[in-house]
Amino acid sequence: MEVLLGITGKDFTIMASSKAAMRGATILKATDDKTRELNKQTLMAFSGEAGDTVQFAEYIQANIQLYSMRNDTHLGPPAVASFVRGELARSLRSRRPYTVNLLLGGFDSITEKPSLYWIDYLASCVPLPYAAHGYAQYYCLSILDKHHHPDIDLETGMKILRMCTDELRRRLPVDFKGIAVKIITRDGIREEEYTDDHVVRSA
Amino acid sequence: MAFAAPDHGPGYSFTSPTTASAPKQHGFYPYTDNGGSILGISGADFTILAGDTRSTSGYNINSRMAPKLFRIGGEGPDATGARIILGVVGFGADGAALKERLDTIVKIYRYEHGKDMSVKACAQRLSHLLYGKRFFPYYTHAILGGIDEEGKGALYSYDPVGSYEREQCRAGGAAASLIMPFLDNQVNFKNQYVPGSGEGHDLKAREVVPLSRNYVMELVEDAFTSAVERHIEVGDGLQVLVVTENGIEERISPLKQD
Amino acid sequence: MDTLVSRYSRPAFVDREYTAEDQEDAYQATPSLSLQFALPPVSQASSWLRAMTDDHSNPSCPIKIAHGTTTLAFRFQGGIIVATDSRATAGNWIASQTVKKVIEINSCLLGTMAGGAADCQYWLAYLGMQCRLHELRHKRRITVAAASKILANLVYAYKGMGLSMGTMCAGVTPQEGPALYYIDSDGTRLSGNLFCVGSGQTFAYGVLDAEYRYDLTEQEALELGSRSILAATHRDAFSGGFINLYHVKEDGWVKHGFNDTNPIFWKTKLEKGEFSNVTAELD
Repeated sequence: MEVLLGITGKDFTIMASSKAAMRGATILKATDDKTRELNKQTLMAFSGEAGDTVQFAEYIQANIQLYSMRNDTHLGPPAVASFVRGELARSLRSRRPYTVNLLLGGFDSITEKPSLYWIDYLASCVPLPYAAHGYAQYYCLSILDKHHHPDIDLETGMKILRMCTDELRRRLPVDFKGIAVKIITRDGIREEEYTDDHVVRSA
Repeated sequence: MAFAAPDHGPGYSFTSPTTASAPKQHGFYPYTDNGGSILGISGADFTILAGDTRSTSGYNINSRMAPKLFRIGGEGPDATGARIILGVVGFGADGAALKERLDTIVKIYRYEHGKDMSVKACAQRLSHLLYGKRFFPYYTHAILGGIDEEGKGALYSYDPVGSYEREQCRAGGAAASLIMPFLDNQVNFKNQYVPGSGEGHDLKAREVVPLSRNYVMELVEDAFTSAVERHIEVGDGLQVLVVTENGIEERISPLKQD
Repeated sequence: MDTLVSRYSRPAFVDREYTAEDQEDAYQATPSLSLQFALPPVSQASSWLRAMTDDHSNPSCPIKIAHGTTTLAFRFQGGIIVATDSRATAGNWIASQTVKKVIEINSCLLGTMAGGAADCQYWLAYLGMQCRLHELRHKRRITVAAASKILANLVYAYKGMGLSMGTMCAGVTPQEGPALYYIDSDGTRLSGNLFCVGSGQTFAYGVLDAEYRYDLTEQEALELGSRSILAATHRDAFSGGFINLYHVKEDGWVKHGFNDTNPIFWKTKLEKGEFSNVTAELD
């Protein structure tokens, strides 16, 4: 029951991921970070098979950083997405594939536009204005369909995110210990304070 | 060549799954349980290992004289001058292979280093030998005995994949569940209290003291004669090895033959 | 003709000889924590192993590997408390009541053992070796973060092969201060303040979470660790035996005993009035 959410707007991408690390019937950690910074303007959020997630993310992170060092240039979000998809597709055809679902959020400094890629463990890769993985899809996509526009500002984006997390808290059977929110703009990646302690009323 | 476990008795001592939802059966089945039991007790300056000499396969008795205890190291095939003994139960072939490998290693250690391997080192090596087959285990329960570097009796017991622990006493094999509780009570004095030392929870536990060699021999014999009475895979002969500073003594005595 | 025959015929059983590799293997006298493991001659080694050894999915499996545990560790102002029970079970059989589930990796690092006893024992010994090598190569002690990552990467390499371990690494280093990591055989590695691992983890969490504070005194912390294990040994049939208690401080760990649960249980019940569901009298 991991939650991954991504929302793009006029000049930003919001990435949200649940903070609970669960194993069986136990929450082992309530402050888990399910994201890795690939470079200054791309952030990858991941969920899936225990162990695979962090190993794959750190493998990608290291290779993207290596590319930047060798070539003295950053890969833009479409290139990063292509690389990640390629690695996942290669892994899928190996003896033991990575079972990892990803959201790749970024800000393209050439087109000056935010970007978001939805990638699953079968190496499907789709650029989308907003996306979710896991059970969050079933609750949040309809909300986003209704309220999202490509040119929303950050404040509106955060408002929509609040609607999504409130609904998840209302309807998901498991406490996912709130979400960690990171925002990607042309200035880079920053963590956003996100309080989640108000009462959510059920119908 | 595939080794399949027979799925109808009388066969091997495993109960084969009968339900329709049983886990997928694999054609490769390289194990048999050859039954039998062993036990080991360490004292102040000696270690005793004992085992019955019966070898079974299902309800058949294959041999009445198949020793499960071996001398490890020393010189030549008779292991002259050895100070380490090994007992293995479970699958006889794995036991023999394990003994052979450990014996070779200990002998080569002596050849290369000009001194005998300590029991502590031998114990760790045996653990690694077993763990080396973590993904294709030896179907064995092993007990290793010897005299440690301080001259005290040392006894180590193992699970099939090499987790090990030094203990005072340990029973292994078919009748382990019959013998081990007896040993807990008679060697480690579990659930024994000093009479008149108090009432209820104030009772003082009986203090554990090292047992004499003769007394331990009596315990060993009692353990086995009792196990023979209640377990079909135990019987025929009792092999006892005693290690002391002076070497290994062996005694084989009869158990009930039925 | 005879020369031709003798040239092309081979003595009987020549194929059954040990190969040079087998002999090398048998003669290799130096023990090594090598990473060369024998594999069964089947296409799916892991499912074969599961059929042979996993008594959870196959209760009639022939090889019973020792399992079952409660272990816990938590960080507090005075360092880290590590506590475990000492029972090992193989199926319903209590294989041992005296297992040392706290593994002393070195004077400042402890590991705990839950899951397969042999897996934990072997790989934590391997970790100890790697930590010592790190020390010799870099002239400084390894951080807990690095040590735990060696273990996590190692078990991840064996993922799906059937290793079973849930372990915690606790230690104090100048760089990190007191640090605690959870590592398990699916490759998860998490840092945190408090972890309970094993079949009795939920019972231990129940007691520990309720009374845990970071500013616990040393005495309170030791008592809480011990009491949490006691709670688990009481409710979880796969946990029991002795309570093994350790305290990790700046200048290394200190052992605080290996005590029988039975007298501790009765002392707790009679002196504090807890465990009221247990009646001492038979009316």
